[in-house]
Amino acid sequence: MPATREPEADLSVLPKADGSARYSYAGYTVTGSVNGPIEAQRRDEHAYEAHVDVIVRPAAGVGGTRERHLETTLQSSLTQLILVKNFPRSLIQIVLQVESAPENDYVNTKLVQASLNFAIIPALLQTAVLALLSAAVPMRATATSAIVAVVSQDGASELVADPSPREVEAAQSVHVLAFTSQDELLLAESEGDFTVKEWDDVYDTAKRICCQSGATKGESIEMVLDEKGDNGPDMRQFLRSTLETKVVADLYWK
Amino acid sequence: MTTESLLVLPGDEIDPSLIPTHKKNPLRLGPGLRHVPPNHILPTVAGQLVADHRKTSLYVEYNGGRYIPSVSDLVIGQVTRSAADLYYVNLNPYTPNASLPHLAFEGATKKTRPQLAPGALVYARISLANRHMDPELECVSATTGKAEGLGPLTGGMIFDISLGLARRLLMARSREAGGIAVLELLGAEGLAFETAVGRNGKVWVGSENTKTVVLVGRALKETDEKGLDVEQQKKLVQKLIKQMR
Repeated sequence: MPATREPEADLSVLPKADGSARYSYAGYTVTGSVNGPIEAQRRDEHAYEAHVDVIVRPAAGVGGTRERHLETTLQSSLTQLILVKNFPRSLIQIVLQVESAPENDYVNTKLVQASLNFAIIPALLQTAVLALLSAAVPMRATATSAIVAVVSQDGASELVADPSPREVEAAQSVHVLAFTSQDELLLAESEGDFTVKEWDDVYDTAKRICCQSGATKGESIEMVLDEKGDNGPDMRQFLRSTLETKVVADLYWK
Repeated sequence: MTTESLLVLPGDEIDPSLIPTHKKNPLRLGPGLRHVPPNHILPTVAGQLVADHRKTSLYVEYNGGRYIPSVSDLVIGQVTRSAADLYYVNLNPYTPNASLPHLAFEGATKKTRPQLAPGALVYARISLANRHMDPELECVSATTGKAEGLGPLTGGMIFDISLGLARRLLMARSREAGGIAVLELLGAEGLAFETAVGRNGKVWVGSENTKTVVLVGRALKETDEKGLDVEQQKKLVQKLIKQMR
C-alpha cells in the first residue's frame, strides 16, 4: 500500500441524494452522501440552527462505540464549517460509508478493546466536505485534513505523514489535524506520548500538507523540492481541481 | 452581460477588482454569496462567480443541491392536505410544507374557491420565504389580481430535473442564454403540449396525447442527465420522434 499515492475523488455518484462523493486515498475508500436542509425530528430540532447529523458506517458489520466517537468528532468539526444559522429547525444529514480500509497482515483489525481508529478520520472528513460541496450546502469555508505519526527510530523521533496501519501501531503518537481554507485549525486529535516540541513539529507538517497552496509560492516550491517523499499531496489543490471539474461539467452550457 | 467568471470555493477571497461598483446603484448579491460586515464578500458554495457590471450584481452560478425557497420563485407543489383556510403544499420531499391560502387564487371567494384534493398539483409563486418560517405561496398576482398562468395543474405528469436545468428553462431566452432548445424543437415537430417549470426542480408536461407527455418528459430528462448541447438535442428529438412514429 503506497502511502504517497495520489488521492482520487468522484462527485455526485449517488443519483437520489442531494449531494455525494466517493473519495479514496492511502488505502481508504469512503462514499458519503449529504441530504439537507430537510425537516429535523422533534428531538433534534434546534430553534436557531441546523442540526448536523453524521452517520459513519464501517466496511463490515454494524457501527459501535468507535463509530459513535468518530461521528461526534466529525460532527463538531463540520458544524463549524456549515452555515448552520441559515437553516434553523432543519437537519443536514451526512452518511459516510467506509468501503475499504488498507489491508495489512500484521495488525489485527478486529480490535478487542474499544480503541480509536485515527487513520480513517482524514478520509471521512475529506469525503464529508466533498459531499457537502456537491450538495451545495452553504459553508463558511472548506477544510483539508492530514494524519501524522511520530515514529521513533534508533532513538531519534521521525514524523511520518499518512502512515500505514503498521506504522500507526508502532508509532509513539498519532495526530490528526484539519485546517479550514482560511488556514485556521479546525480539528486536533492526538493519541500516545509526545512532547510539546513534537506536537509543534506535527502541527507544522500537517499545516504544510493541508494548506500548501495557501503558503507563499516560493516557499512551497522549495518544500516540494526538498522533501517531496514525505510531504504528501497538496490537499487543497486537489480539492480545488476536483471541484473545478464538477463546476465545468455542470455549467457546460455557458 | 457577464464579463468575468471564475471558480470559487466557500470562503475564498474575492478579488476586489471583480466586484462591480456603480456611483449610485448599490451592489446586489445573488445566491451563493454572503456579506460579512464590515467589508468582506465571501462565497458559500462552489461554483462560477459571475459579475454583472450593468446591473451591479454578483452571484455564484452552480448546479445541484436541494431547493431552498426564495421570494417570487415559480414552483410546482403537491397538495398534501387542506386546513380550515389554507392548503398545505409540498415543494420538496422531506421538507416542511408550504402554505397556500384558499383565497390566493384568481377570483376566489369563500364560496367559489378551487377544491384541491390531496395529491393535486399547483403552479404557484412564493410570496414569503425566510429561514424562521415555512414558505407561503400564492396563485394570483397581488398587484393585478390575475392568475397569470398560475393555478391548479390538471392532467399531465411531473418530471424531476436538476435545479440548474429548471433555471435555464425559466430564462427569458432559454435557447441563446441557457442553451436549451429541446422544447422548441419538439414543438416544431408538430407535437402539441404545454409545460410548467418549477424552480424547485420539477417540470409538468400536459397534453391530450399520453405518448407526447412521456416523450417530452424523456427528452428533458435525457438532456439533463447527459448534458446535451443544442446540436445533440436536435439529434435526440429526431431519434425520439422516429421511435414514436
